[in-house]
Amino acid sequence: MENRLKEEAGKLLKEGKVDYIVGYGKGTVNLRTSPLITNKEEDLEGLVINPFIANNLSRYPVELKGRVGIVVKGCDSRSLTSLMQDKKVKREDLIIFGIPCEGVVDLKKLAGQIGAEIDRVTDAEKEGENLTLQVDGSKKTIPFRDVIFDKCYGCEHPTPLEYDVLLGSEVTPNLDIEKSLEKIKALDDMDTPERWDYWKEQFSKCIRCYGCRNVCPACFCERCFVDVNMPQWVATYATWQDNLTFQLIRTLHVAGRCSDCGECERACPVGIPLRSLQRKMVEEVKDLFGHEVGIDKDAPPVFSHYEATDPDEFMK
Amino acid sequence: MEESNWEPKVIGFLCHWCSYAGADLSGSARLEYPHNIRIIRIPCSGRVDPMFILRALQNGVDGVLVSGCHPGDCHYQSGNFHARRKFAVINRLLKYVGIEPERVQFSWVAASEGPKMAQVIKEFVEGVRKVGPNRLFKDEKKDGE
Repeated sequence: MENRLKEEAGKLLKEGKVDYIVGYGKGTVNLRTSPLITNKEEDLEGLVINPFIANNLSRYPVELKGRVGIVVKGCDSRSLTSLMQDKKVKREDLIIFGIPCEGVVDLKKLAGQIGAEIDRVTDAEKEGENLTLQVDGSKKTIPFRDVIFDKCYGCEHPTPLEYDVLLGSEVTPNLDIEKSLEKIKALDDMDTPERWDYWKEQFSKCIRCYGCRNVCPACFCERCFVDVNMPQWVATYATWQDNLTFQLIRTLHVAGRCSDCGECERACPVGIPLRSLQRKMVEEVKDLFGHEVGIDKDAPPVFSHYEATDPDEFMK
Repeated sequence: MEESNWEPKVIGFLCHWCSYAGADLSGSARLEYPHNIRIIRIPCSGRVDPMFILRALQNGVDGVLVSGCHPGDCHYQSGNFHARRKFAVINRLLKYVGIEPERVQFSWVAASEGPKMAQVIKEFVEGVRKVGPNRLFKDEKKDGE
């Protein structure tokens, strides 16, 4: 798979069909991968495909001017399609390498499972249903599905919907929606003040690094409302009130665009369960308008059109 | 203010073409509605940014009422249809994070519906009165100092 990607990507660059290749490269810490963006053929040797490719790269073509060859997983491909709907990228400017994905390893979960820091793991390989690890020189085997991201349990489109080259064969969804929505269900079961207190506590941790915004492919405003100072919607320093307001508005801005890639939660340095907000809105938008994110690239964005029959039982 | 003589303070974002005129009509018809509402006129219900609602609540108002023309009656053809989609999502999100549903209300009131406007405001204020003062964004520690 990796070799085929290198070969095809090299051909694209050589023939001048794309200006950049956006893929995954080895990270500085063991197991981690980081985005690899290049226009040089010799860099392509660094491309990797493994069960640790967490990043959603679909954000980069928006910022890169020119034609891009990009590597996407199922969820990323839907982000990319959503960006096409918003006319942020053009389909004809992209050559998409699709990776059929069986889930991506959540390194936090993995660290919990092996009871050790991730940098003590020197080697990891997926073998069938298991993940074989070398921890401190000894071999360890754990079930793969125990350490993947929560979002992956609810992934209905593990094979990218939009691609030019599919690296590997299609993957059938292996759904465990309940497990994927566990945290949301727990919140739904709380009563109203309890929920507010929960979020209040969570957002007291927020340091407003804007990591969630900067990593989110759906956050593409030229000027974010938090950077606007006339009027100053939220203070520039972190208070839980403004942190929460910021995140709620961000949640509304990306509602109908969020493909539940979970990058916001992964990027959060203080561990706020942001996916519990975003994923909830994915459900709500689907329930209200029957809109599924990133399915049809020619469909209009959900908030730029309307139906006369839209639900309004909440109007009084 | 002491708890016993607390009066709800609510904000109404009313669209210029329908609901604001509706409120005007209820005034000229000498209908009574609670003085707890402070009305802000907006050009269209589509003008309402979710930020208006959250900032109002953050600044301590007890409730926010948003009202515009009935679907199909929008002065700008489709402003309220777009607004309706937005409101549906805002409504669900605010409920989900734990803001009492009584605090934020969306209504359709036409320019000819003076009595309805008075009724909507009356019912809304009563609902807010039931859930009590808005302490959502209060910092207990600081307030106690």
